[in-house]
Amino acid sequence: MKVQIDRRPIWLIIILRSFRPAFFLALGLLFFYLINLPTSDGLTIQGQRAIALFAVCLILWVTGILPLAITSLLAIVTVPLFGILDKKETYALFGNEAVFFILGAFILAGAVMHSGLSSRIALAIMNRFGNTPTGLLISIFLLAAALSFFMSEHAVAAMLFPIVLEIAKGLNLRPGKSNYAKSLFLALAWGCIIGGVATFLGGARVPLAVGMLKEATGVNIDFFEYTLAVFPTVMVLLLIGYFGLTRFFPSDIEDMHLAKTIFERKIKEIGKTGYREYAVGIVMVITIVSWMLLGKRFGIANIAIISVVGLFVLKLVRWKDIEEYVNWGIILMYGGAITLGAAMEKSGAAAWIANKTIGDWTTNPAVIIALFSLLTIFLTEGMSNAAVIAILLPVGIGMASQFNMEPKLITYAIAVPAGLAFCFPMSTPANAIAVSSGYITTKDMAKAGIVMMILAWLVFNLMAKFYWPMIGIKF
Amino acid sequence: MKNILLILSTSRTSQDAIEYAVTLAKREKAKLVVLYIIETELTNEVFDKFTDIGFIGDKPSTQLTEAIMKEYRQRGYEEMGKVQIRAMEENVDFDAVTTQGDFVEKALEIIERYKIDTAVAVKRKRSVFLKYFSKSMVDELAEKAPCKVEVFEE
Repeated sequence: MKVQIDRRPIWLIIILRSFRPAFFLALGLLFFYLINLPTSDGLTIQGQRAIALFAVCLILWVTGILPLAITSLLAIVTVPLFGILDKKETYALFGNEAVFFILGAFILAGAVMHSGLSSRIALAIMNRFGNTPTGLLISIFLLAAALSFFMSEHAVAAMLFPIVLEIAKGLNLRPGKSNYAKSLFLALAWGCIIGGVATFLGGARVPLAVGMLKEATGVNIDFFEYTLAVFPTVMVLLLIGYFGLTRFFPSDIEDMHLAKTIFERKIKEIGKTGYREYAVGIVMVITIVSWMLLGKRFGIANIAIISVVGLFVLKLVRWKDIEEYVNWGIILMYGGAITLGAAMEKSGAAAWIANKTIGDWTTNPAVIIALFSLLTIFLTEGMSNAAVIAILLPVGIGMASQFNMEPKLITYAIAVPAGLAFCFPMSTPANAIAVSSGYITTKDMAKAGIVMMILAWLVFNLMAKFYWPMIGIKF
Repeated sequence: MKNILLILSTSRTSQDAIEYAVTLAKREKAKLVVLYIIETELTNEVFDKFTDIGFIGDKPSTQLTEAIMKEYRQRGYEEMGKVQIRAMEENVDFDAVTTQGDFVEKALEIIERYKIDTAVAVKRKRSVFLKYFSKSMVDELAEKAPCKVEVFEE
C-alpha cells in the first residue's frame, strides 16, 4: 500500500484539522457568554436566551457549516431546553399550517415532474416559439418564470437545465465565449428567480414568511392577496430582465435550425400525452384555483393536502416516486425557522432588537421598508433565502409592532427581495447550475446581476410606494 | 523513449499548452500522454445546493449532475480530439487517458504510471485575493511531482 506523506508545515496541519471542533467550541462559548451577560433593560431572561440562540443560528446559516435543516433542528431543541418557550408550545409550532402547505406544494410539484407534464409543456413552447434566437431566449426566460409561478423555482431550474444545455451544445455555442449561450443560461436562472417570487409556490420562502407572520401576530396573507401585491413587480422585472439579457449579451447567432431538430427529437422521444399527465394537470389546475378562490375559507394547507391525497386516490403517483422528488429536510428547515421566529417574538427579543437597532434613528415606514428590502436583497446574495427570512423577519415584525406599522408590509419587504438573488452562483441553486454549465462565468453573472439587483430593489420600492396603496396596503 | 504528459481538465485548457506539448514531444522524440481530468467538485457542489438549499429530491438532483457530467465528458473528448489531430499532424506518438476526481491526485497517479519526464499543466487565472490565501492546484502538483512541470497560464 502506498503511503502519502503530508509535507505541509505541522502548524498548518494542526490548524486545519482542529478548525471544525474549534469553531463549534467557540460557538458554544459565545452562546453561553451571551446568555450569562447581565440582562439589559426591557429584555427578559427568555428574550436574552432567544437572542443568543438567534446569534448562533445566524452564524451557522451564514457559514453553512451545518446543513440548513440541521441548524433548524438545533433551534427547535434549544428553545424548550433553555426555557425560551414551553416544550409543548415549541413542538406544536412544528405542525404549523405553513409547513404542511410547503409539504403539499412540493409533493404536487414532484407529481407534475414525475408525470413528465412539465417537460412536455416546456418542449412544446420552445418548439413553437424558438424559431429565432430572440424567440428562443424569450421562450426560455418566460417559461422558467411561468413554471416557477406554479412549482418550486429550483425544481424548474433542474428540469429545464438539461434541455438548455442540449440546445447550447446542438447550436455549437462555445462555452465561456458565446454571448447567446450566456444569455440562454442567464435567462433560465433569472426566469426562475423572478418567477419564483410571484406566488406562494415558487419556493417555500413566502409560505415560511407568511407562517411566521401569522404565528407572531395572528395576521394572515392569503394566496390571492400575495399574488395581487407582487405580480406587477414580477411583470416589470421580467421586462427589465429581458432588456438586461439582450443588452449585456447581444445575440451572436442567426441560424436556429439545429435547435428545432433537438426539440422535434425530444418531443418524439416522450411520445403522446398520457392519462397520467392529463390527470395530474387537472389536479394541479383545480388546486391552484382553489388556493386562489377558496384559500381563505378552507386554508391553503388543507387544500394542498387534499390534492395530495387525490393524487394517490387516482393512482397518479406512488409514495416511492414522491420520495425521489421531495427532500424531507424541508420540513425540519421551515419548522425550525418558524419556531425560532416565534421564540424571538414571544420572548420580546424581536421587539428589543428592533428598538435598539433601526428604531433608534427612524420610525418612518417608507424608510424602514427601503432599509429592510435593501438589507434582504444584499444578504440573500450570500446565503439561503429561507435563512434570510428566518433571520430578518422576526426583527422586522418586532419593529412593526413597536411602531404600529402594518406587519404585512414588512413581511412583503423581506419575503419578496429574499428571492431576488441575481449575482452569484452561491446565491441560489439556479445561478449555481447556470455557472456550472461552463457557458457563463461567475464574472459575467455578477456584472449583469448587480445591475439587475439594484433595479429590482428600486422597482420593488416604487411598487410599494405607488401601487400597494391602490390595493389597500397602506404605510 | 521519453514521455511527455499534457494535463487538461474541465476548467484548465489552453491552446498554447497543447501546441507547446506537441512541439516538445516532437523535439524530444517522446510519446505524448494526454490526461483529461473531469473535475467533480463543481457537480458535487451543485448537487449539495439543490438538495440542501433547494430541498429538491435526489432524483432531479442526480439527473442534473448527470447532465453536467455528460457535458464535461463530451468537452473532454473534444479537447482530446484536438490534441490527437495536432499530434498526428506532427507524427507524435499519442496516448490518451480520461479520468474524474481530484486534480493533483489523478495527475500524480498518471505521472507515476507512465514514468513521465515532463508534465505540461494549465493554470487558471486567479484573483489576487485567492493567490494570497491559497495555493493553486497546479503549484501543488509542481511541488509534489517527481518530474519537471511546465506551467501555462490560461
